[in-house]
Amino acid sequence: MTDAAGTIEAEQNRNIRKRWLLSLPALLIILVAATGPLLIVLLYSFLAPGPYGDVQWLPSFDGWVGVFMEKDIFDGTFSLASAHVSIFMRSVMLSLVTTILTLLVGFPTAYFIATRPEKTRELWLFMITIPFWTNLLIRTFAILEVIRNEGLINGLLLKSGLIAKPIQMLFTDGAILTGMVYVYLPLMVLPLYASMEKLDFRLVEAGYDLYATPFRVLRKIIIPLVKPGIIAGSILVFIPALGAYVTPSILGGGKNMMLGNLIELQFGQGRNWPLGSALSITLMLIVMVALLVYVRNAGSQGSRHG
Amino acid sequence: MAELNAVEIRQVSKIFGFGEFAFAAVDNTSVSIRQNEFFTLLGPSGCGKTTLLRLIAGFEYPTSGEILLNGEDIAAMPPFKRPINTVFQSYALFPHMTVAENIGFGLMMLGKPKREINERVDAMLKLVRMEALAGRRTSQISGGQQQRVALARALAPQPKVLLLDEPLSALDYKLRKDMQIELKRLQAETGITFIFVTHDQEEALTMSDRIAVMSSGKILQVGNPREIYDAPADRFVADFIGETNFLKGRIGSVANGIADVDTPVAGRISATVPQDFHAEGEVTVVLRPEHATLCPPDRADASQMTGTLENVVYFGTDTHYHVRLSDGETLFTLREQNKPLQVARFAAGDRVGIALEANAARVLRN
Repeated sequence: MTDAAGTIEAEQNRNIRKRWLLSLPALLIILVAATGPLLIVLLYSFLAPGPYGDVQWLPSFDGWVGVFMEKDIFDGTFSLASAHVSIFMRSVMLSLVTTILTLLVGFPTAYFIATRPEKTRELWLFMITIPFWTNLLIRTFAILEVIRNEGLINGLLLKSGLIAKPIQMLFTDGAILTGMVYVYLPLMVLPLYASMEKLDFRLVEAGYDLYATPFRVLRKIIIPLVKPGIIAGSILVFIPALGAYVTPSILGGGKNMMLGNLIELQFGQGRNWPLGSALSITLMLIVMVALLVYVRNAGSQGSRHG
Repeated sequence: MAELNAVEIRQVSKIFGFGEFAFAAVDNTSVSIRQNEFFTLLGPSGCGKTTLLRLIAGFEYPTSGEILLNGEDIAAMPPFKRPINTVFQSYALFPHMTVAENIGFGLMMLGKPKREINERVDAMLKLVRMEALAGRRTSQISGGQQQRVALARALAPQPKVLLLDEPLSALDYKLRKDMQIELKRLQAETGITFIFVTHDQEEALTMSDRIAVMSSGKILQVGNPREIYDAPADRFVADFIGETNFLKGRIGSVANGIADVDTPVAGRISATVPQDFHAEGEVTVVLRPEHATLCPPDRADASQMTGTLENVVYFGTDTHYHVRLSDGETLFTLREQNKPLQVARFAAGDRVGIALEANAARVLRN
């Protein structure tokens, strides 16, 4: 009896060891490619900045202090780094608005595709992914070309005589939002479509049958059932939007910075790698907190129905 | 004028597709469904019965024609405004709601006060005997229970008409039998007009007040189960409802609704004729399998029909015999009820005679 049990246990141990061995490549990649760089960033945030970028191997909290405080160069007193705080707020706001706008545009788009005949759906999805083929930089410059003062829209408006002088669209928050919605829309549409494709449209008919108007069918039946897609799409848009760099730097100009630009500044012209590292970690923490809040909210709403 | 019909379909067509791909799922069909009736649309799959039901529900709009509900044309009214509810074939229960929430959904959408909704949901749960499972998710209950919830959900808003789209097809035999009785009970208790779609002729015969037999988008015959079974309007109806033997023959003299028909395989048989039926020459005679019995081949008085017994199939309640008639072509089916401790009288390969009961044969119109 005990012998048999022992053999089974040994067999199980062997199996467990084998599984670990098989998953070793994946674990190594996670450790080296994901955790490793993060640890370096974390370490750098606690070091002193070097004179020409890089870091000096001296422990220092200056980087972290610099995230929220700024030192007056004349009297050396500290005050709240209002510029940083406002960039944080702006980034979160712009990302939130981007997420909401992509959801507003993406939801009908995904619904439209999901209700097409099966054969044409692939074509529509394919068209949604076409922007991915082109470099982000080029796509962003294309938008710049459309909205700048001498661009397509202003040119047409001026020519038609509707306006006397060009409307300033470039280098505004509106320009950043336009760019970000355009860039991140596929990331919203694809997970939404994946949920909607699984939606049983007979449930929609059942809703109509039970006196629900189209709006109520949307609110009471479709949205609750495609909620996983809404959550996935929102996360996929919100996170990269928060760290967006190319779009705000081109369409927002120098003054309308987002977090990504601020971080870039520290590693580039600012030559303050510890501050850049501390800002990066802060960005990550914001994302994590936002995710936790969002997922927990969405989760509790889902279980309330049960 | 007498009481308004619950539903009246007037020359309704529904055409899907365009040009050469156009296909009439419902083809210029008219039918009236009375108040408080258990009305069944019966036909093979693809005959248009489900499309007709969806037209009444409002999920499809007719290409032409009128649909009247209590005398009011509703053909263009959206489904959420029609006081008609549907029990779907797949039940289509909302997976993100509990049993009680599903049942209360229609009432909630109608804007009823919460107290009234709760009372009504409780009453419905009781009606379908599901009180104990009110708080369950619909994925946590069995197929038969889902069926009951679907029924309760559709009945809760007290519709004028209840549509049932093959609601029993997913249930196993015993449960289906139970639900057939249950449906009849519910219909009697609620007094709501039921329009039931099925391809199962037995289901149609046992449950319906009246049946409409459909084929290729057209209604071939409307009548009560007995009329449909005993006096099928044409060959399709006769063939679709129950098992039927068809014999060709020449019609002779007709008197008092009985005709003499000369058949090559059975000699002269007397057959009932439909009212106002005048035909000369070739006709088809139908014979139900249970209206004939096997006898020894030399019993000349019983019938002139003889043949070779090819097959004996035991069904428990009765036994089916397939007899190859003397012309070598026609396969005649007959069915005898089994008696206690009965010994098989005939075996496959025997030569047998077939005795017909009085009025067993009927001349088909066409």
